[in-house]
Amino acid sequence: MKPTAEMRWKTTRRRLLIGAGSLGVLGVGGYFGFKAAIPTLVDQIATESGGGSGPTQPLFWFAIDPKTGITLYVPKGEMGQAVQSVMAQLAAEELELEPMQLQIAFANSSQGFADLHGTFASSSTTSLYQPVRQAAANLREMLRSEAATQLGVPLSEVIVSRGTCFARTKPNKKLAFSQIVAAKKGEWVEPTTATLKSRQQFITIGKNTPRVDVPAKIIGEAQYGIQARAAGMLYGAVARAPRFGATLRSGNAGQAETMPGVKKVVIDVANNFAGVVADTRTRAKNALAKLQLEYTGGSNIGQTELESLVTARAGQGTVVRNIGNIGELNLEAAYRTPLAAHAHLEPLTALVSVTSNLIEAWVSTQSVALETAALEQQFGTNRKIIVYGMQMGGSFGRKGNQTAVLEAAMLSQAVGAPVHIAWTREEEMQHSFYRQPSHTVLRGNVDSNGKIISLEHTVASGDILTGSFDPAIISPILAVGYQIDPGIFTGLFSPYAMTNYRVHTRLVELPIPTGLWRGLGLFPHVFALESFTDELAHQTKQDPLEFRLNNLGADLQARRLKAVLEAVKIKSDWTTPNPRNTARGVACSFSSNTAVAMVVEVQVQNQIITVTRVSIAIDCGLVVNPNGAALQAKGSVVMGLSSTLIEKIVVENGAVQQKNFDDYPLLRLKQTPPRIDVHFVESDLDPQGMGEPVIGPVGAAVANAVFALTGQRLRELPLKLES
Amino acid sequence: MQLNLNGKNIEIAEDLRDEPLIWTLHDRLQLNGSRYGCGAGWCGSCTVILDGKATRSCQTKTSQAVGKSLITLEGLANGDKLHPVQQAFLENPLQCCYCMTGHIMTAVVLLENTANPSSVQIDAAMDANLCRCGGYNNIRQNVARASEIARGAT
Repeated sequence: MKPTAEMRWKTTRRRLLIGAGSLGVLGVGGYFGFKAAIPTLVDQIATESGGGSGPTQPLFWFAIDPKTGITLYVPKGEMGQAVQSVMAQLAAEELELEPMQLQIAFANSSQGFADLHGTFASSSTTSLYQPVRQAAANLREMLRSEAATQLGVPLSEVIVSRGTCFARTKPNKKLAFSQIVAAKKGEWVEPTTATLKSRQQFITIGKNTPRVDVPAKIIGEAQYGIQARAAGMLYGAVARAPRFGATLRSGNAGQAETMPGVKKVVIDVANNFAGVVADTRTRAKNALAKLQLEYTGGSNIGQTELESLVTARAGQGTVVRNIGNIGELNLEAAYRTPLAAHAHLEPLTALVSVTSNLIEAWVSTQSVALETAALEQQFGTNRKIIVYGMQMGGSFGRKGNQTAVLEAAMLSQAVGAPVHIAWTREEEMQHSFYRQPSHTVLRGNVDSNGKIISLEHTVASGDILTGSFDPAIISPILAVGYQIDPGIFTGLFSPYAMTNYRVHTRLVELPIPTGLWRGLGLFPHVFALESFTDELAHQTKQDPLEFRLNNLGADLQARRLKAVLEAVKIKSDWTTPNPRNTARGVACSFSSNTAVAMVVEVQVQNQIITVTRVSIAIDCGLVVNPNGAALQAKGSVVMGLSSTLIEKIVVENGAVQQKNFDDYPLLRLKQTPPRIDVHFVESDLDPQGMGEPVIGPVGAAVANAVFALTGQRLRELPLKLES
Repeated sequence: MQLNLNGKNIEIAEDLRDEPLIWTLHDRLQLNGSRYGCGAGWCGSCTVILDGKATRSCQTKTSQAVGKSLITLEGLANGDKLHPVQQAFLENPLQCCYCMTGHIMTAVVLLENTANPSSVQIDAAMDANLCRCGGYNNIRQNVARASEIARGAT
């Protein structure tokens, strides 16, 4: 029998120290298993299940120190999704504390329940909602039980409130949690099944409690990965190939070695690596520019060839869904989404110290597990390896791909000192991996009642999941049951009830690295699907929103989509006339078990599309922090609008043509609609995904509004009106 | 070489004359409020206040700050009392907050010159700073809110 996750934790976790008298500190035990991490990650992305799993023994999660209080070790990376704050809310609820009474730290690869899943696929809150509350409740009962002993009263008499325990009859004699731990004698017993509060009893969950990370960020105290520091650290710069896939043929240090501040030049042709270490970043970069490096091979791909390769032909590719019999199809359209950059503002960074017995790394990463695995693979497992996750300045799928950590590690080993790597903006723009280009052909027909009868759906897409990872890591997983890129499935399937539906996908191998980008396939898929839904509605002269309602079935997903469409109909004033010179478009999507409907209002002047108002209705289950969730929704809209209206990476001669934000602009403040209204639909479900789902409908909602206003159907992103 | 940083004179090594100011602040002085975003002046994350002007520290040599008043994020609060712009961003934060330094410094300069800016003036002043998490509407609200706090119009 395959062991369950819970069994694995029980059998493999280290027995941990507990506040046994003399120490007076309740410690955090370590659990870390990379080999378990990858299949979990792939499963999770493929099935879109956050998975409600994690150890519930309190000592994986919490430490109590009489001096610093209770620390919660959060196993997820913070990249702006407020995960630390949400985890504090979940724990505080069961511990009877204010979230701000908790100290929050990141679990790392040797301390805490470290990041089996990584921070991907909008899954943090979904997957940890149950285990964090359970662990907190278990800790509460541990403390309560010990308090009963110390107070000399029966357990039933002990009340827990605001970080203290006291006897019901003697409310003035309060024992702080830290006092209880300090006075504990002997071994603790960890309960595993303490009773959780019901939703009606929540005090903290569902409230707009303040962010726990922002006070330190507002005064410049918090450290992002780019600000990781170690005594004696130096700075690295690494050479990049001029074309995708080109390799180093020969190299000469030239004058670099004698330049001021230069500590080491590494030219390792066998490993296709050249880099410089210096005492400042500027000196490292200047010396790098003096290396005489010759590259060979690689790709000469240009934009025309790229688009030709990524072209779907109706009915070709692997069939991934096949219902009924596709008959006559009388409407056909094709949609294209280009390569795009993540453009997170803090670039990829890592600080690594390699010594003979210990490797320590401080990394901006979505996955401590993947960074650790990369170091294990490079350096073996004889040395202790500790990876610390740092605050991230954005990521959107970019961070977790191990490049910077290995570069810094190789340079650290060569120079014998800690080395920090921060990619430059130009490196990020030109040598990263990108959102996969995709092309979708849709063919369908509608009956006289406005019901979609048949849909044939063919997608050609660059790689989504496998390109982000070292092939040596991901290939064995793909070989076992994942012949199809698992990333393709996010947002792939049309949500409408149809008698006949067939979906073909084709993974296009490209010489350009492509991979994880917010929502994986979601944004390009929904742009195509929901634009086509609009075309079907217009073909049969129906209101596009009513057409969607009319075509949704009766299962739970369809009912949830209907509810958000009904809600957005009201919130957007859909049935009232458009303001002068504007028009509205609607789209909806379902991903990470969250339903989203969006209405966008646009204006056009001098062929420039301006979005003037966005209304969104969301069913993401229970909302733990409404302000935080709304902020993520609005952020998804802005990022989605940027992709819809502006962003496109272009390749020529095997290289990206854009270098910085002058030739790859992002949506700016003035281009952002001042009114983005977010409405959460009441839901009985536990929390579901929020980081990605809202980006789904943006492209189609805008394109549909542009069609309503101008009569031009734009089927390629970014949208450009013909003059 | 001497910098007047957040009201204090500090000695800086001569060999940093040509070093971009951002890296002097970020690496040599270890000020975490400094934020590298693009190194070319396009994103605004690295904005500092140099003689009262919002200035891209990635486009400024360290020697260019000599003899001027240099204010960074770390120099805004008065002891434990946050600057009104910091207070507004604390109440209504952005997502990852990496670019937030630039928005805060730009807003501080705006409010020093225009105590009660209109929404058009706010948009004009803040438009040159990027926020990839997309917190632009919070930024608009926060500048207006900071103006209220500063004017005692709470």
